[in-house]
Order: sequence, then C-alpha cells, then structure tokens
Amino acid sequence: MGSGNEILDMYIYETGTLLEQLETIVLEAEKADTFSQENVNEIFRIMHTIKGSSAMMEFDSLATVAHRIEDMFFIIREGTMSVVSEENRPALFDVVFQSIDFFRGEVEKVESGEPLDKDIDSFLTNINTLISKIKGEEPAQPEPAPAAAPAGPAPEPVSAAGFPFGLQVNFEEGCGMESLRAFMLVTSVKDVCEETEFTFDPPDVETNSATSETIIEHGFHMMFRSAQARDGAVSVIKSAGSVQGYQSYDCPVEEPAPAPAASAAPAASAAPAASAAPAKAAAPAASAAPAQQQHPKETLISVNLSKLDQLSAVVGEIVITESMVTSSPDLKGLNLDAFSKSARQLRKLTDELQDVSMSLRMVPVSSVFQKMTRIVRDMTKKLNRPCKLTLVGENTEVDKTIVDNIGDPIMHMVRNSMDHGIEETQEERVAAGKDPVGEILLSARDTGSEVIIEIIDDGRGVNDEAVLAKAIRQGIASPDVDYSHKEILNFLLAPGFSTNTEVTEFSGRGVGMDVVKRGVEELGGSVSISSELGHGMTTTIRIPLTMAIMDGMEVSVGDSIFTIPINNILSTMKISKGDVIHDSSQGEIIKCQGDFYPIVRARELYQLQGGCTEVEDGVLLWLEAGDHSYCLFVDELLGQQQVVVKQLPAYVNSFNVKNYGINGCTLRSDGSISIILDVASLYTASRGI
Amino acid sequence: MSNEVMFAREDEMEALNVVDDGVDSQKYLIFMAAHLKLGVIAEDVVEILNNQVITYLPMVPGFIRGIINMRGQMIPILDICSRMGLPSREEDSLVVVINLGDVQLGILVDGVDQMLDIPRANIHPLPANSAQLLVSGMCSLPDGSGTMMVLDCEQLLPHD
Repeated sequence: MGSGNEILDMYIYETGTLLEQLETIVLEAEKADTFSQENVNEIFRIMHTIKGSSAMMEFDSLATVAHRIEDMFFIIREGTMSVVSEENRPALFDVVFQSIDFFRGEVEKVESGEPLDKDIDSFLTNINTLISKIKGEEPAQPEPAPAAAPAGPAPEPVSAAGFPFGLQVNFEEGCGMESLRAFMLVTSVKDVCEETEFTFDPPDVETNSATSETIIEHGFHMMFRSAQARDGAVSVIKSAGSVQGYQSYDCPVEEPAPAPAASAAPAASAAPAASAAPAKAAAPAASAAPAQQQHPKETLISVNLSKLDQLSAVVGEIVITESMVTSSPDLKGLNLDAFSKSARQLRKLTDELQDVSMSLRMVPVSSVFQKMTRIVRDMTKKLNRPCKLTLVGENTEVDKTIVDNIGDPIMHMVRNSMDHGIEETQEERVAAGKDPVGEILLSARDTGSEVIIEIIDDGRGVNDEAVLAKAIRQGIASPDVDYSHKEILNFLLAPGFSTNTEVTEFSGRGVGMDVVKRGVEELGGSVSISSELGHGMTTTIRIPLTMAIMDGMEVSVGDSIFTIPINNILSTMKISKGDVIHDSSQGEIIKCQGDFYPIVRARELYQLQGGCTEVEDGVLLWLEAGDHSYCLFVDELLGQQQVVVKQLPAYVNSFNVKNYGINGCTLRSDGSISIILDVASLYTASRGI
Repeated sequence: MSNEVMFAREDEMEALNVVDDGVDSQKYLIFMAAHLKLGVIAEDVVEILNNQVITYLPMVPGFIRGIINMRGQMIPILDICSRMGLPSREEDSLVVVINLGDVQLGILVDGVDQMLDIPRANIHPLPANSAQLLVSGMCSLPDGSGTMMVLDCEQLLPHD
C-alpha cells in the first residue's frame, strides 16, 4: 500500500464501514417502519462524517448528497419520526437505500480510480422533493436556520458571561462548509483547552449547516475564560486549514477576571501538536451525542491481507521446521532430557502461534449475510412476494478469503429461492397451508472442521419431473435412464441448466447454479441440494474452516505418498479377494454397510510404478465428497497429520493435474513432499467423466 | 552444498577474469545434457542443487520428473534431455533452478561445465532449416571444447 494513498485508503475503509452500519440500521428500521430517535442520531452522525471526509477528499458530489440527507435527518431529528407521514415512509427508506447504493458506487469508483459521477441532480431532486414533502406535512416545524444565533447586527464583539476573552476567526472566502470547519476547530481546541474553559458562537455549528452563513458574515467567535486558554487556542487555529485570519478582543469584564497574571502570559506555551487530520477528529467528536451507539472500533486495526498471508506462510514453515528439528534423524538413540523438555515447550508455543495466526484471518460471516437482507428486501418489493429472511449464526467466523468469495454463491442461491422457490402469489401459499409470508432461512454453523452454510426456503420445492424434462431437453440427462431423486437434484447444479424459461433481472442470466457449485468448489467446499415438492428447498454449502491447514491421512502407493483430507474419509478397511465384486465393464465394486461402491485403484489411475496389486496386501479407504462416494485402494496408511497446504507450482497446474484430483502438496516432517488429493475430482477422473 | 558445485563456482570465477570488460557480452552458465553443451543466461540462474529427492508427480508429461522442495518452495523439475527428445540418464544429476519471470523451474542436467562471458556478436543464429525448437542460438566456445547451444528458456514454459 503506497504511503501517499494512506489517507485515501482510510477514507475508503471508513466510508465502507459507515455504509455497512447505515444499511444495517435502515434495514432494521424498515422492519419497524420507523426510525427510533437513536437511529436518527446515528444516521445523522454517519452522514455528517461522510460529508466531512468526502469534502476533505474533495469528492464534492458525495459531500453534497450526504449534506442533503443530513439536512433531511436534521428535520426528522428535530421533529421526531412523527414528521414523516405514513405514506412518505417507504419513500424515505428508498431514498436512504438509494443513497447507500450511490455512495457505494462512487466509493468503488474512487477505489478503482475512475472519474466520479458528476450528474447527481436527479438524485438530489429526489431528496429535495422528499424533504419538502416532509416539511409540508409539518408546517409548524421551524426552519432550522440561524434562529439559534443571537442575530447580531453588530459584527463583534460577541460576549458571553464569564468568558471575557474573545477570538474571532474568519475562514477563507468561498472555502465552503464553514460550520463544519468551525466545528473541527472547536474539536481541535478541545485538545488543548478544557471544554468548560471556552464557549463558541454560533453554538450549533455541529448540527446546523445553516450557521455557515452567519460565520461567513460575522466570523466564528470563541470565548475563553482566560487569556492563557485563548493563547493556546490561537496556536491551534494557526495550524488549522482554511483559516484566513483571527482577531482577539477582550470584553468588558463583568466579573473579576480570574488570575490577572495570566493575561500577561506571553506567547502560547501549550498547544501540543494540534492534529492536522480534522476529518478524523470530527468523526469521534460528532458521535459524542449518541455515545452508547459507539462501536468499539478504536481497538481494531486494519491490516493488509497480504501481510497476513505472509504471516501464515511463515508460521506454516515454522511448524514444519519445528518438527523437522525435533524429529531429526541425528537425534536417534540419544538420551536428551533437557532437549526433549525444551522441544515440548517449543511445540506448545508453535501450536499456539499457529492458532493465533489462523485466528487473525477469521472474520464473521455477518457482512455477507447482511447483504442478503438487502437483496431479499429489494426483491420482495420488485416481485411483490412478501418474504422474510431469518439469519442464524451470523457471528460464525471463517477465513477472510472465504468471506470474500462466498458472497456470490450465497447471493445466487438466495435470489434463486426468491425467484423460483417462493410461490408467486400469497393465495398460492395460503392454499398450500403455509404462512402467506415466505421465509428464507440463512444459517451458518461451525462444526470444528468445516463451516456449514444452509439456505432454506419454504417455497414450492423442486419438481423432479420438470427438472428431468428440462435436463433431457438440455441434453444433460438421457431419456432412457431412471434417475433417482438425488441425481435429478444434481442436474440443477449442472452447467447450462436453468429451470426458469425467461431470464429475469435477479436470477437466470443464462448461467445456472453451476456457478454456485464452481464458486464453492474453488474454496475447497461442496454444495448439495435437498428438496421435497411443495415444502421448499435446502441448499447446503460445506466449506473447510481454513484452507491453509487441514487434517490429512497420509497413505503410500509404491514410492509415492499422498495426503487425503480426513473430512472425506468415512472409514478404512482390509478386505479379501472374495469381497470384490466385478461388474460388466471390468470395474470393481465393494459392498459397505448394505450399499455398493466402486473401487478406484490409485496405482492404476496414476500409473504408478510399484505398489500392491493384490487387495489383501493393501488398504481400502471409503471416501465421500459431495455426491461421490467410493473406495480408494492404496498400499498402506502412514498416519494422520495436520498439514500445511501448499499450492502446486503454476507450471505444474498448467497441465490440468487438478482435474485428476492432484490438488496441492504439503511438506512432511522429514522435508519430503506429499501430494494432497481432492477426493471428488479424483473420482470423476477415474470414471473418465 | 557439495564440493562439486563449489569447485564449479571457482572455475566460473576464473572464466570471468579472462574476458575483457567493456565488450557487449552476456554471461552464460553452460551445462551438459546428453553430451550437448547448453547455455542459459547466468542472471536467470537462481541456484544449483544436487542430491535432490524428486517427488514423482502423476498425470503430467513424462519430461516433468516431479517437484522438489527448495526451502519451502515447490519447484517443478524438468528433464531437459527427455524434453528435447534425447535419452536421459537415470543416475543422480544436478538441478539448475532458473527464474523465468514469475515461474521458477528446475532443469535436470548431467553436470555443470562452466560459466562464461560471451560477446553477443559471437552468438550465431541457427541454420535456417534447423528444427530445434528449444535452441535460439549457437556459439563456439573459446577454449575449443565444443559448441554451446543457447537454450531458449521461454520455450520451456507451456503455451496456451
């Protein structure tokens, strides 16, 4: 990250976080069909911050829009939610959502360095119409104009009892947003001067942008209890931006001036480096009002993901090196008490280090889930199908890479549920004996080794016959074969399959659910669908908790060593020749717990030299991945091991070894390499699919 | 690191001193593969390793012997002899690790010959009708020990 862009990065990060907060608030508020005063304050604060920081970055269009929304919420804040009549509320929510989208879009443009949208007039008109509507409903509402300012035709001095030492600050002509700048000034003065030691005029610069005009006309006045305090403030003001000049004046003393000696104090001694980042200073200060809403953001830092990647790579190396050292063949036969003791201690520490470095990359899935709330909301409106989304386990933590990539698959499934799952009309639902409001349940849970995300809808469910007919039409299925329910559901995930005949805005853009499958598989996970006609559909996405480290079973075939993910292994068994059943096409089959499973011989599939040929000599691993279940024949089990997954060199991957189940590799404790197998693609390779 | 390689490095130093600076020249590492002398640009060479245990990788073309672990990095090993369609030796050989852009590739060779500064003008193009895909130029060695073929490393990378 270039140092020159740090401020910009900060801006993008902060604005993104604020928008997320805002969206959560608005979504909840919409459910309740009103904004609580707390929410209004919070939205006001968010808009205020966005306005301030956008103006600072000279993104004028963003600042203007934020400004107008802020104005709107100012009215609501003053008059509470009752100023917005029932019929205006949906429009209010829509405008706020639109503004969120607008900000997101613009911030994205900022991020990618594209020029910003200058044409915001129509959007502004929208907001203005709404504002006047709200105002029209409440004529009694006084203009939030300079009423508060002690309308002084006399330019100066402005005096306040007990604060005899005045200071008039003039901002540069046409710098804009004077009220905001004045407020920032106040915030920085607070750093050097007790809050009780001064006062300022107009007093409502934080909340009332109309005070800008007063400030332009009369200057911004600050009154101090002591001259010392004023001197301190002067040095702050000197370093502040956009200040044209300042002028101090003393008011006639109404009370005995405290500490007359103080006035003799020479040039300011205080003023410890007034921070030059007023935008940052404004943010926490502006939130002072709804203090209980303050998020514990201060304890968080944002770190470049590549640094974390580097850290986990190094930690992975350390773990391996540690076991290389402690199990070094040079130590064989030696009696090293002190060494083994230290080695155990080292082991413990590296384990801990590994846990910590892994936990750094873990983030809750809530950000992804929240986005779905928005999608369901929008679709509910567009399709006019009332539906509620229930989130379960949004605090489940997964690897950052997973959170970044799981959004699209989940979104696709949620859209699919809305579009094809939930019945088109409420009558249809009532006739089926269901609640007229549809329900989509989005849940995440952590089983220790993998995260299971489920998207459950209570809609129509999958019509097997329709799916099969479609599959046959698409040439995916053969008309002569009898397919099981499970197999038919799998057609939904096949490439180029989409049950909806017409392309809608939300789902079915020519691509089917195979993109979901592909997306999840790229994360090392699997997708499965279950459904009962008339009772909705459940999509289950299983993803390993972290892709960097996994538990694997090491097996040998001839001279080669392979690692198979423990999660995929159902059981291992020794069999005799008599147990193997031969099918018509030279294939071998074995019966496990009442069902028949094909046998794949690793040695033959990979054309390895050496290795067992007689089933009695080797071991059979019963594996399962996604919808494939089969047995893999190998020579020997070497043991279970926690392994650090390494990608194969790109050069090797260019030969499509991944299609043959060769998915990665890992270093063994003696420094040799074991190849990590992907159970699903190994099977498809063996069937020649 | 073995003695053999250490000595090779010293030889390289001597070879360096012989050639005059100031001539537009390029340093080449010359290695032996199936009695051919092949040269690669010395700057591209990352490391010379020997006694490496190569892990066999199934389902790749035969000229890829497998992968090795070089300080935690996985390096694919290419058997240059079989890549060029020549018989390859089974005995323990050296691995020359070269860096091509962002790809690191180990080349299995019979032995390292020398490091030599060769003026660009001395490198001649191949005869027009030659079908040797992997060689981009030739040069007679100044010590009269034979002819060096310049290996076109880019050609080793897969094209898509």
